[in-house]
Amino acid sequence: MKFDSSQTPAAGCDPSRRAFLRGLPVLTAAAAVPVPALAAAETRHWGMLVDVRRCIGCQACTVACMQENAVPEGSFRTVVSTYSVEVTDAPQPAGTYVLPRLCNHCDDPPCVPVCPVGATFKRADGAVLVDAERCVGCAYCVQACPYDARFINHDTNKADKCTFCAHRLDAGLLPACVETCVGGARIFGDLNDPEGELRRRLDEAAGEVKVLKPEQGTSPQVFYIGLDQRFAGKVEGQGSLWKPQASHG
Amino acid sequence: MKIQRRDVIAAGGLAAFAAGFSQTLGRMADAFAGPADGRHQHYGAGLEPEFRVDPATGELTPNPDQQVSYTGCMGCTTLCGVRVRIDKATGKILRVGGNPYSPLSTEPHLPMKATVKESFVALSRFQDKGLAGRSTTCGRGNAALAQIDSPFRVLTPLKRVGPRNSGQWEPISFEQLVKEVVEGGDLFGEGHVDGLRALRDLKTPIDPDNPAYGPRVNQVGHIVSVNDGRDLLGRRFWQQAYGTQNYVGHGSYCGGAYRSGSGALFGDHRAMPHAKPDLANAEFVLFIGTAPGNAGNPFKRTGKMLAHGRTDGRLEYVVVDPVLTNADNRAAAERGRWVPIRPGTDGALVMAMMRWLFENGRVHTAYLANPSLAVAEARGEPSFTTASWLVIAEPGHPRDGRCLRGSDIGLAAGRQGTLGEADPYLVMGEDGRPLPVSTATAPAPLDVDSTVDLGGKAVRVRTGYALLRESALAKTLDEYAAACGVPVEVITGLADEFSSHGRRACAVAHGGMMSGAGFYNAYAVVTLNALIGNLNWKGGFAMNGGGFPHVAAGPRYDLVNFPGKIQPKGTPLGRNVPYERTAEFARKRDEGKAYPARDQWFPGAPGLATEFFSSAFEGYPYGLKALVLWMANPVYGIPGLKERFGKDLADPQKLPLIISIDPLINESNAYADYIVPDTLMYESWGWTTAWNGVPTKMLTARWPVVEPRLAKTPDGQPICMETFVFALARAMDLPGFGPEGLADAEGNRLPLERPEDWYLRAGANAAYAGQPVADASDEDMALTGVARIRPALEAVLKPEEWRKVALLYTRGGRYQPANQAQDANNPEWQAQRFAKPLWIWSEHVGGAKNALTGKRYSGCATWQEPAFADGTPMRAVHTESDWPLLAMSFKSALQSAHSIATPITGLHPENALVVHPEDAAARELATGDQAWLATPGGRVKCTVLVHHGVMRGVVAVEHGFGHRELGARPHRIGGQSQPDRPQLAAGININDLGLVDPTRGGRNVWVDAVSGTSVRNGLPARLEKA
Repeated sequence: MKFDSSQTPAAGCDPSRRAFLRGLPVLTAAAAVPVPALAAAETRHWGMLVDVRRCIGCQACTVACMQENAVPEGSFRTVVSTYSVEVTDAPQPAGTYVLPRLCNHCDDPPCVPVCPVGATFKRADGAVLVDAERCVGCAYCVQACPYDARFINHDTNKADKCTFCAHRLDAGLLPACVETCVGGARIFGDLNDPEGELRRRLDEAAGEVKVLKPEQGTSPQVFYIGLDQRFAGKVEGQGSLWKPQASHG
Repeated sequence: MKIQRRDVIAAGGLAAFAAGFSQTLGRMADAFAGPADGRHQHYGAGLEPEFRVDPATGELTPNPDQQVSYTGCMGCTTLCGVRVRIDKATGKILRVGGNPYSPLSTEPHLPMKATVKESFVALSRFQDKGLAGRSTTCGRGNAALAQIDSPFRVLTPLKRVGPRNSGQWEPISFEQLVKEVVEGGDLFGEGHVDGLRALRDLKTPIDPDNPAYGPRVNQVGHIVSVNDGRDLLGRRFWQQAYGTQNYVGHGSYCGGAYRSGSGALFGDHRAMPHAKPDLANAEFVLFIGTAPGNAGNPFKRTGKMLAHGRTDGRLEYVVVDPVLTNADNRAAAERGRWVPIRPGTDGALVMAMMRWLFENGRVHTAYLANPSLAVAEARGEPSFTTASWLVIAEPGHPRDGRCLRGSDIGLAAGRQGTLGEADPYLVMGEDGRPLPVSTATAPAPLDVDSTVDLGGKAVRVRTGYALLRESALAKTLDEYAAACGVPVEVITGLADEFSSHGRRACAVAHGGMMSGAGFYNAYAVVTLNALIGNLNWKGGFAMNGGGFPHVAAGPRYDLVNFPGKIQPKGTPLGRNVPYERTAEFARKRDEGKAYPARDQWFPGAPGLATEFFSSAFEGYPYGLKALVLWMANPVYGIPGLKERFGKDLADPQKLPLIISIDPLINESNAYADYIVPDTLMYESWGWTTAWNGVPTKMLTARWPVVEPRLAKTPDGQPICMETFVFALARAMDLPGFGPEGLADAEGNRLPLERPEDWYLRAGANAAYAGQPVADASDEDMALTGVARIRPALEAVLKPEEWRKVALLYTRGGRYQPANQAQDANNPEWQAQRFAKPLWIWSEHVGGAKNALTGKRYSGCATWQEPAFADGTPMRAVHTESDWPLLAMSFKSALQSAHSIATPITGLHPENALVVHPEDAAARELATGDQAWLATPGGRVKCTVLVHHGVMRGVVAVEHGFGHRELGARPHRIGGQSQPDRPQLAAGININDLGLVDPTRGGRNVWVDAVSGTSVRNGLPARLEKA
């Protein structure tokens, strides 16, 4: 029996041929932030890690949040910003970049000092919340937030924002967005729990962990892996693939 | 990554997150989420938690006001297992999450033996369980609950008022509905209409000149969407009890081209088996015309595995697609890549890859040479191919293109006679004489070009391997690259990478195959896998785990056989049988000119909804007297259909009766005479398996976790598909239904008169399949709301059965343990293996002829440019100078074809046409401009979105928009108008631009010549500023 000798699988291969797949530049080297230190005291301190590599942009978090928290349509406590970008130094002409956004529950929150009635506060467990009974809807906090994470709720005329689903946390559950994150990009937990999954992931990724707008000095408690600083702020683009429905004022 | 600032396109975030104060977007006029009462000081309007879990002890405290039930989603065709959270007092569905027992929502999923209480704790913060065992629902799955209380639902039977499609209806009683559709009469003051009783003529031939067409009952056609777990009951009624041959699904206008190409390789053109990459273990996956994690089935599971694989550094993948999607993620840029390609030309890319594999010794010839499973397994291979089998390659020979069989060379043909299944297939023996495959004990020669003596005549025979190699080498790499627009170095790089991971590489396609070269493009993609021998390997090309037999002649009940069961007969309306078996062929052959047939036939295809309308309205093979649409929307889904056949659909003279069973009014049943309401998602019963992509066995139990919102029959049941067909069966006294419709395993007759009679007994079969499941506890039932259906369980099932079936409802189904994906005895092999051969050369296709030309089809993967039915290239008719662009659609990450009136729309209200910057510049178009997109089939006005995420020369639009119904037009029902929300009509639908096939002489819409599937990718187009 004779086989064509050219048909036997060849050993090895030309690495340059496959180069088109490799050597893609990693994201810009913005300064990584040090992984937050464990507090000496045994206090709980909520935080979130968003592993952007795992996000598939399905907006499960966005919709779950809207339903869990009765967020009026057109406003968002969390959303996955999704960008189509031209790429000029890699073999493919364009790429998708996704960025889950929410309130950063800053340790030095700029929204707190500007509140004239003391409605916005940072709870002992780290969650930044709004006391709806005090809030007068003046929107100073909305303007003060460098992350555009706040809005005035049109149903209540109060400042509104992500609470880390404090009502679920207080019941021993996870925030709605974390529960339903399809790619497993959102990791939530107690930053002060040395045995916790959040701490394990943060330590594992030390050196790659970043926060949005570190130069603002807000000390965000939402951390990112795979964060490209060019998308950290407002991104100027030509248009929007998904634009929320036109305003009715 | 260098990013051109001017080309940064934000999707959602740019304006969306800044939607608060600085860029006031305000409230949508049709906000779905209303303000909640009783706001908490700090929590706002957050929902009361469904239960509490002590983070220290893990103790569960249920919320007595809420019910958490495990059931099935119907937001898309994946049909995931979900958990539905319900406010008990109001019956309102609060929110939906994943079912932790279901592999479609959780990886790895919980074992069945975990109690419901444990499953709830597994979702909580306790020991971070909720992170490790995260059980999810996607954006659409979260939003889909809005459909239950949608103001656009049909809740009572409707009868049209005035002409068809005029948007006016009167509610009628269930009794009137059943009486009118069964008995007919002058129903609309337009003359007599035959009812279903008169149309059920099982004896009189439709056409005495063509008796093969079958009896007149075949003139009642039925189109269903997907098998949502109820399809087998639909088939039992319409096919086995009522008797029509013409019951088809939506595959031919969904992803049917891929399934047909896969069916050719897997050797079954009816069931069309297909496999998926084992994403949990693969090292390299090539996705062609399918965007993992962006859309597709199973959506979440694929997205999750992709996210994990690219993050933990095991998986690399490439997505070949004309348009950029969420399958790309720049944060993991080193693991995944997008390669743009021209629509409809994937076959050129793949045949070029094959050429490189052949020429560089990368084809796994040792694997391909195994002629049988026995030889393959003896050599450590879990699958085998027909690569070494001999094929008659003698032009003019009546069996040219078919495999050489034992009976050809004088061997016994076996039980089923000449060319029957037992008639041996042959390989070339060492002595140069053909040898039956079953007697081969060693690898067989692959590169055979020889002659055998057949009846004293030397006939050329070759192997499938040789024929495929010849096909791959038919064009140069440069020619292939020019056809598909992918550079040669990318093609060879892909081939190199694909063949550098042993069996842990895979190539897969799907909906992107719906082009004018769809069948061969798909056949080529799946054949790639055979060349590296990855089928049934861990990390390779994996079969679906399948389900547990439920609608079966099972261990507890026989849901299949019944006295008087009909086996439908006759030519299917879609002409998916060989032309050569028709009376027309015989007549024409005797007249000396067998070809062309009057119109195309599709011997390699399953039932074709795409051909239903041209068949019915052109009367070839015959016309329809009644059409039943169940959850189906062909007018929205089939390219070109509305433009060509909308007027005919509206004309009762041409199609006397249209009955729809549907929870909503869509673009198709807007033409109906009657609409029967139907249950929706969490209101409905059903048993569904994973469609594919789950390596373990699973079966999702869907059950009414809330009271259906529907009107009731006189005996108090919801008016829906099931109760409608039960009433029809009663009125016409049909077999297989009624007081003695079913039987248990011992043959005792039992009633089939209520949905529970069917679904609970199907559940008993599933619960007792193999090792019977355990009993549900009272606590399990109380926690999941199954206590609500306990009376039905106890009434319908036997005392020993009901708690086992209840267990399936408490777990939302039955699932094989997650650790059983691989073979216990051979951990590198998948547990569920495809044991039949992969057909490198499909004799079924290769032996068939195009009915318009009499030319033989190629029996192996090949590159043929997109063409019309008689082989005329599309570009020979619609030239590039007239139509310089190619238009296509792609699946949305959010919107499905029917999810428009949900919160998804608030998030993503419109689709824009994606245009490449150079194409836009040539037309002076900028993002946001209005433009006319025209094809030879029509034109629509669209909004333009300019960026580099699309192949040059291609314009692409997301599917799921451009609706005319489903809320886009307010219907008047009994004098009441539905809400007026014209914004639900936003955007465009590519299917409004579908083409007519100019080579078929009639109004037939353009379909792939072999598979008969819709062409929506690669429509010739032009774009100009509006």
